[in-house]
Amino acid sequence: MRDLPIYLTMMLAAIRAKMEYRVTFLFLFFALVTFYLGQLGTVLVVIDRFGSINGWTLGEMAFLYGLMVFSQSITTFFFASLVNFEGLIMQGGFDRYLLRPLDPLPQLIASQFEVSSIAHLVIGVSALVYGAAGTDIAWSAGKVAFFFVVVAGAVMIQGGVRLGVSAICFWTMRNRSLVHILVFSSKEFILYPVSIFNYWIQVFLTLVFPLAFVNFYPSHVFLNRDASNLLFSPLIQYATPVAGVVFFSLAYLLWRAGINHYQSTGS
Amino acid sequence: MTGALAHFGPRRRVYPSFFAKAFQRELAYKFEYFIGVFNGLLFMFIFTSLWEAVYAGPTAATGGTAFTREGIITYAVYAMLVRISMTQEESGIPAKVRSGEIAMDMIKPVNYMLMTLAETGGGTLFHWVTRVAPIFAVALFAFDAWPPSDPLNWLMLGVSWVFGYLIFFYLNFAFALLAFWFVETFSFQLMKFGLFTLFAGGIVPIDFFPDWLQPVIAFLPFPSIIYVPTALFIGHIPAAEAGSLIGVQVAWTVGLGLLCRVMWGMGQRKLIVQGG
Repeated sequence: MRDLPIYLTMMLAAIRAKMEYRVTFLFLFFALVTFYLGQLGTVLVVIDRFGSINGWTLGEMAFLYGLMVFSQSITTFFFASLVNFEGLIMQGGFDRYLLRPLDPLPQLIASQFEVSSIAHLVIGVSALVYGAAGTDIAWSAGKVAFFFVVVAGAVMIQGGVRLGVSAICFWTMRNRSLVHILVFSSKEFILYPVSIFNYWIQVFLTLVFPLAFVNFYPSHVFLNRDASNLLFSPLIQYATPVAGVVFFSLAYLLWRAGINHYQSTGS
Repeated sequence: MTGALAHFGPRRRVYPSFFAKAFQRELAYKFEYFIGVFNGLLFMFIFTSLWEAVYAGPTAATGGTAFTREGIITYAVYAMLVRISMTQEESGIPAKVRSGEIAMDMIKPVNYMLMTLAETGGGTLFHWVTRVAPIFAVALFAFDAWPPSDPLNWLMLGVSWVFGYLIFFYLNFAFALLAFWFVETFSFQLMKFGLFTLFAGGIVPIDFFPDWLQPVIAFLPFPSIIYVPTALFIGHIPAAEAGSLIGVQVAWTVGLGLLCRVMWGMGQRKLIVQGG
């Protein structure tokens, strides 16, 4: 904790580096919003045509999408440097972090800032506000508090995915295709209610690769949806924080094991 | 003497390392390949699941379009195959412009655009054999989406795929050439990709868009890339309309081809000004 000022300085430097060219920055932001509106557009078109997706109305789908993108924004803010971890390993950039007398993980977290984090924030908050307004969520103090706990859990799950995928790099040196499929393609699963998939995929997205906790399960709490048909138990709608802690811990153990392995080869 | 000693000293251990590294390299390569194939099937699975759920809904029936449940599943599978069958390396030209390496291509006595097209086409053909064919084979059984048996559908696919691919190529080429005028082209490509995702028909067929939006989309080049070849192939669009749709594709191909030519010429002059 006493090293916190160092990390904050690093983070501010990373943000300033990205903001140096104002026009480029604004243009990239605008491009990212267009890009994500394209993705969101496909969902909107389907709802516009069919009224709902598996019983989820426009407002509910907006909330589902908002929860995913908002938590992704915070995940990207902290874990941006892990997307191209392969490059850091291949070119030896990671050794620089190991040489400093600080824990490499917080250094990595503070070393890079992505504009997409802000684009996600704007889109995520807009979708959440629109979804909440369209579904008349009765916000109580408990729900507001639970919202932040859920976001923390969702960030731990998505951050855990990035950390675990990066850790694999310590053994394989390469992980680009894994990043592509596990960090990016996999989000397509939770763009829609997980209930559209067959039973075993739902089990997979709950117990093995727990993306269903990012937005699908907790949305039942906020939207007062019937949780009696959820997998295992209706209580699963409250389980995002637990899933986040467990999954991130496992990813962190893999990361530690990976670093030890990396040191021992001396490459 | 030292050479002989090396066979007994600690350095002998490097040879198993070379062995292991080469093995690891090959393994990583194979792994990349299987992940790529898996990724295509994953998207097919997600979209077919989506349509199954949507069409099982109480309000649905067919959403007022000509797509039946089987029809939309077939569409989802073949639209994804068409999407996977078109590949392009996009970062090449901007990187070459930035490094100045593009000058070496300019002095070659060949048409650079056609050279790039030929190279991209060769890569795409390889991609067909290694990626598209296995994904197609698995999809046949996994999603129960058999192709039409009428040779006319295959012919329409062949012709419209070629023009769709040319439009796809020229569009990407034009966006890459923006590198002559802008330092950073990633944002442009991102925007293009967003529009492509939404309007090319790779995920949602154009029929599902609101009625007021459909005529607007018809004026964009994107539907010609995935929607037209797919819809003609699965028989969603009757063969009688094939002529006019392929005519639109030809017009886009010629128009974008000319645009690329003009941009290339202008960019070449612009680059010389900078270099002087």
